[in-house]
Amino acid sequence: MSDFHQHEGPPEPEPGMDRRSFLRTSAVLAGGLFAMAASLRPLMEMEDMPSAEQFLQKYYKELTPADMAKVLDRIERDVQKQYGIRPHVRDLRPMDGVEFVYALNLTRCIGCRKCVHACVAENNQSRSPEIQYIRVLKMPHGSLDIEKAEHSYSPESVPEKGHFYMPVQCQQCRNPPCVKVCPVHATWQEADGITVIDYDWCIGCRYCEAACPYWARHFNFTKPSIPKERINPNMAYLGNRPRKMGVMEKCHFCVQRTRAGRYPACLEVCPAGARKFGNILDPNSEVSQILRTKRVFIQLKEELGTSPRFFYYFDV
Amino acid sequence: MSNGSRTNLVLTVLTVLFFGLGASFWVQLWGKTPVVHQNPLVDPAFLQTATWRKSYADLIRGKEDLSDFDCYGCHEKKSPPKLRFGADQKIVVPDEHSDVVMGHGQHGRNNNCYNCHDEQNLLQLAARDGRALKLEDSVPLCGSCHGPTYRDWEAGVHGRTSGYWDRSKGPIVRQLCVNCHNPHSPKFPGRKPAPGPIPLRQANPETAGAEPTH
Repeated sequence: MSDFHQHEGPPEPEPGMDRRSFLRTSAVLAGGLFAMAASLRPLMEMEDMPSAEQFLQKYYKELTPADMAKVLDRIERDVQKQYGIRPHVRDLRPMDGVEFVYALNLTRCIGCRKCVHACVAENNQSRSPEIQYIRVLKMPHGSLDIEKAEHSYSPESVPEKGHFYMPVQCQQCRNPPCVKVCPVHATWQEADGITVIDYDWCIGCRYCEAACPYWARHFNFTKPSIPKERINPNMAYLGNRPRKMGVMEKCHFCVQRTRAGRYPACLEVCPAGARKFGNILDPNSEVSQILRTKRVFIQLKEELGTSPRFFYYFDV
Repeated sequence: MSNGSRTNLVLTVLTVLFFGLGASFWVQLWGKTPVVHQNPLVDPAFLQTATWRKSYADLIRGKEDLSDFDCYGCHEKKSPPKLRFGADQKIVVPDEHSDVVMGHGQHGRNNNCYNCHDEQNLLQLAARDGRALKLEDSVPLCGSCHGPTYRDWEAGVHGRTSGYWDRSKGPIVRQLCVNCHNPHSPKFPGRKPAPGPIPLRQANPETAGAEPTH
């Protein structure tokens, strides 16, 4: 301490840094940092940043049951945070001895589009912008020419004279082109015939959308918007849990219902009973009966060799 | 040039660059953030899974008003009501039954009430093979003419189903013919379709009506 008092006058400046240059450097640095922050503005505005948990999550097929429990809990928390509803998210696996097949009676379909909206409600699809898994085509009688099909019809009353209606959704192909092109294996065909997507693994390259001949895959260009009161809380990991921006989605035969033994939502709402669904490996199921006894089957774009599990038929 | 002034120069250039970038984002030089227009929500009526008609069996189950089916409140027992036919051989529906629209069969040819109703006992139905059936048990009556459809219905191939496809997990819910078909006029009435898809172009008022650009 005694040394301090020996100094006379102002203290010696530190070598290389006087008071003025220190202030100037600080001001420049602060300005520079502010400029950098301003240039990072788009990053700050980014929503839907994956949490560390989600970012580090493993591939679906590599998840142990303990991992899966954590993942499902994370999804439930995310949904509750975003929509204020605690959902029930399950990871439902294919059942043994079950292969799903869909049959649609073109004679019965009246083109009312109830299936389209029941599907949207069941599967938590974005309302704005709209994502719909089912597209109902209106075609003139006497041909099955998709070039002549129209899907934006809105008459006062359906069915219209001289036309028939053909709802098209994912055909759950036996030989799916969309699965072949996926560069990250985020989509695959399960043992019960359903082609599913792991929304946490999809990178949004849209190759599958280009590969699908049925226009069945849909891309989330923006953050999906679903009104809170219309969220369906019965969810499945590979099924209807809310998607995020930048991932693909498609019809999955309502895995959250069908793997629990129930009928898909589009079938239950059909007022004409045109839609039939079931296990083709069970000889007594409705679809087995149809494929055995009905005369005309159409697999849409059969010549492509995709071998759909979705059959169209006519009867009297 | 000394080390210090070179550092200063680099820092100044970087600062100017960052400011420039920041300003460019501020004035949205690189394109505007797209505005998502809110589409109208679909009418929940289109999401209903209930059938549009109630069968007599439903009315009994729901303990609802059955007074409409009390035939002998007006008619006399043991005196079958007489049918009247117009000049065009079409049946004349009396005013008391004006809710009945006759339209069964092509050109309305199934126009005799007693083809299905029992002449002797109006509280039951009569199949063509002579069986008497209760009002709530009308399916075999329809099946007595519509054989292939009846066979399909029994197999679950015709008609609406809901509930469980896997019978080990739960029951399947079946509907009767008259839940969907009006027995007096079985053809489905036309209905208004649910709204069609709203393309992105149409959802945005700025681009609505514009030709597609691709």
